[in-house]
Amino acid sequence: MTLTLWRRLAELGRRAWYFLNRNRVTRDLEEEMRLHVELRAESLRKARVPNAESPLSTATAFSIRNDPAFHAAQKRFGNTTTIQERSRDMWGFGNLEALASDVRFAVRRLKYRRGFALSVIVVMAIGIGAVTAMFSAVDAALLRPLPFRSPEELFATSAYRVPFDDGRPENDGPARMPDLADLRRMKELASEAGAYASGAYNLADNERPIRVAVGVVTTNFFRMLGIGPLKGRVFTDAEERVGSQNVVVLSYGLWQRQYGGRDISGLRIMLGTRQHEVVGVMPRGFSFPNESDLWVPMSIPNTFATFEAFRGYIPAVTMVRLAPGVSGATAGAQTLAQMEHWYSTLDARNRKNHASGMERIRKSGTMIPLHKQLVGDRSTALYVLLGATVLLLLIACVNVTNLLLSQASARQREFALRGVLGATRVRLIRQLLTESVLLSSLGALLGVLLAPVALQMMRALMPKALAGVAAADLNLRVLVFTAVAAVLTGLAFGVGPAFRSTADGENDVLKNGGYGATAGNAGRIRRLLVSAELALTIVLLVGAGLMLRTFGEVMQRDSGLHIANVGTMQITMPGSADNRVARLRKLNDILARLDATPGIEVSGAINDLPLTGTGGISVMLQTDGPPRSKGGGPDFTRMIYASPEYFRTVGMTLLRGRAFTASDDSLAPKVVIVSRKMAEANWPGMDPIGRKVSLGEQEMTVVGVVSDVRELRLEDEAEQQMYLPLLASAPASVAIVARATMPPAALLARMTDAVRAVDRSQAVYSVRTMEDVLDSSVERRRTNALLIGTFAGLALVLASIGVFAVVSYGVSHRARELGIRAALGATGQELMHMISREMLWVTLFGVAIGLAGAWALSKTMTSLVYGVDIHDRITFVAVPIALLIPVVLATVLPARRAMRVSPSEVLRTE
Amino acid sequence: MSHLEIPSGTLDMLVLQTLARNGEMHGFEIAEAIERVSADVFRVEEGSLYPALQRLLIKGYVRAEWGRTSENRRARYYTLLAAGKRQLAQEVKQYERATVAIARILQPAMG
Repeated sequence: MTLTLWRRLAELGRRAWYFLNRNRVTRDLEEEMRLHVELRAESLRKARVPNAESPLSTATAFSIRNDPAFHAAQKRFGNTTTIQERSRDMWGFGNLEALASDVRFAVRRLKYRRGFALSVIVVMAIGIGAVTAMFSAVDAALLRPLPFRSPEELFATSAYRVPFDDGRPENDGPARMPDLADLRRMKELASEAGAYASGAYNLADNERPIRVAVGVVTTNFFRMLGIGPLKGRVFTDAEERVGSQNVVVLSYGLWQRQYGGRDISGLRIMLGTRQHEVVGVMPRGFSFPNESDLWVPMSIPNTFATFEAFRGYIPAVTMVRLAPGVSGATAGAQTLAQMEHWYSTLDARNRKNHASGMERIRKSGTMIPLHKQLVGDRSTALYVLLGATVLLLLIACVNVTNLLLSQASARQREFALRGVLGATRVRLIRQLLTESVLLSSLGALLGVLLAPVALQMMRALMPKALAGVAAADLNLRVLVFTAVAAVLTGLAFGVGPAFRSTADGENDVLKNGGYGATAGNAGRIRRLLVSAELALTIVLLVGAGLMLRTFGEVMQRDSGLHIANVGTMQITMPGSADNRVARLRKLNDILARLDATPGIEVSGAINDLPLTGTGGISVMLQTDGPPRSKGGGPDFTRMIYASPEYFRTVGMTLLRGRAFTASDDSLAPKVVIVSRKMAEANWPGMDPIGRKVSLGEQEMTVVGVVSDVRELRLEDEAEQQMYLPLLASAPASVAIVARATMPPAALLARMTDAVRAVDRSQAVYSVRTMEDVLDSSVERRRTNALLIGTFAGLALVLASIGVFAVVSYGVSHRARELGIRAALGATGQELMHMISREMLWVTLFGVAIGLAGAWALSKTMTSLVYGVDIHDRITFVAVPIALLIPVVLATVLPARRAMRVSPSEVLRTE
Repeated sequence: MSHLEIPSGTLDMLVLQTLARNGEMHGFEIAEAIERVSADVFRVEEGSLYPALQRLLIKGYVRAEWGRTSENRRARYYTLLAAGKRQLAQEVKQYERATVAIARILQPAMG
């Protein structure tokens, strides 16, 4: 064993010695072989003319050429050059050397065709850059495993909530749903069970208070993920006890930004209204969930105090690490069985309450892999976009292939000559492929530089929950992918032309000067390639069309608001009951200041700003309207707190009755304003003013009706909405809106000024115009449309260039044929039509195939379209028309040259 | 009788054997020796000798040194090394086994 190893090493040593002494070895070989030939010549001479004293017996340079013995010896020896090469090849670095010389040669050749090289590189940069960016996104979101310990064991479950203790003992009876505490007892199923939630706090340490993202997590959270602290410690299990939550762990980013990375021992910070002790710092790059700036422990069970600093309840995700050997399927089946068992033990009333919940659990399953939970529904869009970039790259390849093919015919002579001089076909092809791969690699390099721009654009499409976990960037995996793509692309577009350039029949080529039978063939292939390009372009255009129409449809939807010139900002105040009066006063002060500001027409406040996707409360009400046939599930009404002037500020219409006034405070009789939809649903055909609504023990009177608002997303139908006076309840988190005639920047500045004037230490965030809010709510759809639209546009440009090139080539290389036709009486017009017609057939063929392909493939986009059929007629008709315009231009412009062919000139120059 | 091509793969063996028998030789001498000893049946396509020599050099079976011929010309002399001797013995053994096997297969036909 060691003998072989030793031998191998020795051999390697010898090869290395050769590599360093290449030139000397070559010279030695030359001398050796020369001696051999001379000796052979001498022996031949002796054999043939044994006695002749030939003046050539000492082979001298000048006479060698005429010496027949020398020639014979040389002939017997063989082709010295080839033999030298073979000898050198033995040393094994021949391949590397050949590659190096190929590259050098390719670079030299490309320097002479700078325009061509540049255009190929740019085309490749676009194609490979786009694919790289998309792959980075897909890899980060979907392919890479989560950066936690054994991430395949981590599952999320919606069936087991974190228990909530609201101080009422009756919640602990048999009607209690199985929860996290129960899950923790199932040791054979899950080795660990915990939960996490995302909220936000005011951090009031510096002059400018800031808002920080908070991860509220169970004490075993970090242990479950397998991530240890950089400094200090994480939470101990004791800190899960209710009341022991005054500790905090910082993220690396916040630790550096706010605290300069200083020593944390004894550091205390003010979160919300309470002092927290900093016990640890997490490593750089960790900010799960949702880009948390810091983490606080979650008490088990949750109490009101847990959510005090937030707007109220924040939903938690229960997470488990399955016990070793337990599969997701097993765990899912077992937990489902447990839930069903519990459900079957309920009495009739409780069963009705939990019916819809059980339905949901049955449909989605009890155990979902954590990765899938975080990605949500973004995967389709990402995959579709990746497909689009691959198509774009294919189109780019086809384009370049065409470009190269047009050169192939011109180079046939050159390669035929080289073949005669001794180059093997394999060698020539290798050289051409080296050139292609070099071009695509340079393109890839440029593309990699451009990719970050595309990645910025795509940020909106990445699953938000993964933002702190997996960033889409140009890491090693992605760069390796790019390198592989570059090589494959280079080979793909180079292979066809390489074979074409070095086609057999050297004699014919050299004789005919490169024209002849092959010209027609080449033209056909190129036209076929153009068809393919057009087909792929059609597919992309259809996709883009569908996305654009979807976006258009969504934007058409009426939000129910008039938001031009309206600004908004968000504040969160201490939320406990004691602070109610203070909150009220602050809010009134701010609104008063805003009203007093010149230029601001009206301002108001609301606890749940529409189109921000925030949770908000939905409740089940009792009204004194006629009993309703509950067809579907339970009837929920959105409960929203609004200030008197809110409706006017955002442009809602008061349909009946009155808005809130200052006298609708906490001491007055309780009043509500209902939305039109709610009025229709509860009191169909009747006047809702004066009617009663009860929530629990509270009874309220309807005093007004307002227009509907699409609160959550433009795509969704407006829900039933009920408004209560904000000033009566003073919620902790409030969005303030103001309408003004001044430019947005000035308005927003005035708004923040007003808050600061009232309370310097109040953190203000989400300061933006309502139009920004609307834009954000449709950002995903807009990004989708924008990206696919860009890809389709690029494809169209490439395809048009392809058509232009093919027609140009046709005209110039068929000059002889055209000249003959002209001489036989064809007019310029007729020639032009002939050329155009040919391209017309090509185009129609490509369009037909493209439409068929798009028809089939549009199924993949079903979940991405809205308000538009996947086989939308408008799109499928508009796309071919949109394609035809540039294609016709690209055909006619070069075809016109056909008109100017002068038969005498052409026939003369042959 | 026309000359036969040396069967591929056996050229190395023949070169090693020639060196074993004759000590130091340069390329031309090796070619001549093979022709002579094989009673002129094999003619070395002289080109293929040199790549074979390089191969043997790489593997460490022979050593090459520049020296002077009897006519005082510069020539490269090859010598068999111990590893080459071992390799030769092994290859000869394999060759003999192959020959016996082929002969056995052919025997009935020649019967």
